[in-house]
Amino acid sequence: MSGLRQQIKEMIVEVLNLEGMAPDGIADETPLFGEGLGLDSIDALELIVEIEKRFGTKIANRDIAATALASVNSIAAFISASKGEAPANQAT
Amino acid sequence: MRVYIDGVGLYGPGLDSWDEGRLILSGQRPYERRNMPPAPASALSPNERRRCGTTVRLAIQVAEEASIRAGIDATVPSVFASSGGDSEILHNLCETLATTPKDLSPTRFHNSVHNAPVGYWSIAHKATASSTSLSCFDGTFAGGLIEAAVSVLTETGKTLLVVYDLPAPEPLHSACPFICGFGVAFVLARKAGGRSIAALDIELTGDTGNIAVMGNSDLETIRTGNPAARSLTLLEALALDRTAGLKIPYLDDLAVYLTVEPIVHRAQ
Repeated sequence: MSGLRQQIKEMIVEVLNLEGMAPDGIADETPLFGEGLGLDSIDALELIVEIEKRFGTKIANRDIAATALASVNSIAAFISASKGEAPANQAT
Repeated sequence: MRVYIDGVGLYGPGLDSWDEGRLILSGQRPYERRNMPPAPASALSPNERRRCGTTVRLAIQVAEEASIRAGIDATVPSVFASSGGDSEILHNLCETLATTPKDLSPTRFHNSVHNAPVGYWSIAHKATASSTSLSCFDGTFAGGLIEAAVSVLTETGKTLLVVYDLPAPEPLHSACPFICGFGVAFVLARKAGGRSIAALDIELTGDTGNIAVMGNSDLETIRTGNPAARSLTLLEALALDRTAGLKIPYLDDLAVYLTVEPIVHRAQ
């Protein structure tokens, strides 16, 4: 699962053009929105499209997005569950 | 039409600001061609700056410089003019649509519209003033100047004119072979004020010969290599701070004759 988390972090930095931030600079549990990474609703839309494109996983509505996009861990868990894989072990 | 120039913004290769450009164009400093890094565009918030493209950053950079020099706020209406718009994003959208999956980036789609730069300008300054975005191929600078001058004289009293273009990736570059990026902005006013640097008379003419050119070959290459850089001869006249008459290109059968008269401010 660490490989999936790393892919997600790289996606976030690349797609959202987070200048000066390395993928490893995003902790697995860091909130992506609000007080954490400071992303906003436009970024959420961008992530929804990119997650579907890269991982073939569709985020169907706003409620699911709010839960799934909370952190790198939650995105990894959502992608794994969508593919019928075992829940991701949460990194500590 | 007579208008007054209250502020100038400039960003081009080896021309990082109007302060630097004025020294070079007046012959006080030699011109050295340099690569043009993405404009800092410090007026944008960090989130908007990372989200927008380099074309938006270029437009915002010169708009901000001219506005500060003229001492205007965001209540002044604006004209944003670009021949090609954000061609890098247009290229990216075309590339995405030509492949599978065809999912477009929402942000890039949002940024692809021709008035995206003035949208970012409005967001940065919480501005609700009217704006016009136009394109006129190689005559974009003259077209923008006429639109802004008409706006100043008939409606607004002051108008911010912003003209900008960046080179496109191939294959768009073959159709519009801009050799470099260039951005320029002017704040135009109906009446002369404390910050006015020159009066500018604008006249359409059917005589399209004898277009003014730059004496420096590098700057002349830039002038002809980017539609926004057609402003260079006007900028040179302003930098030299002396009365001048010059013609700039507009349409196939129309040119624009400009008369520049510097305004001398007496010390208080």
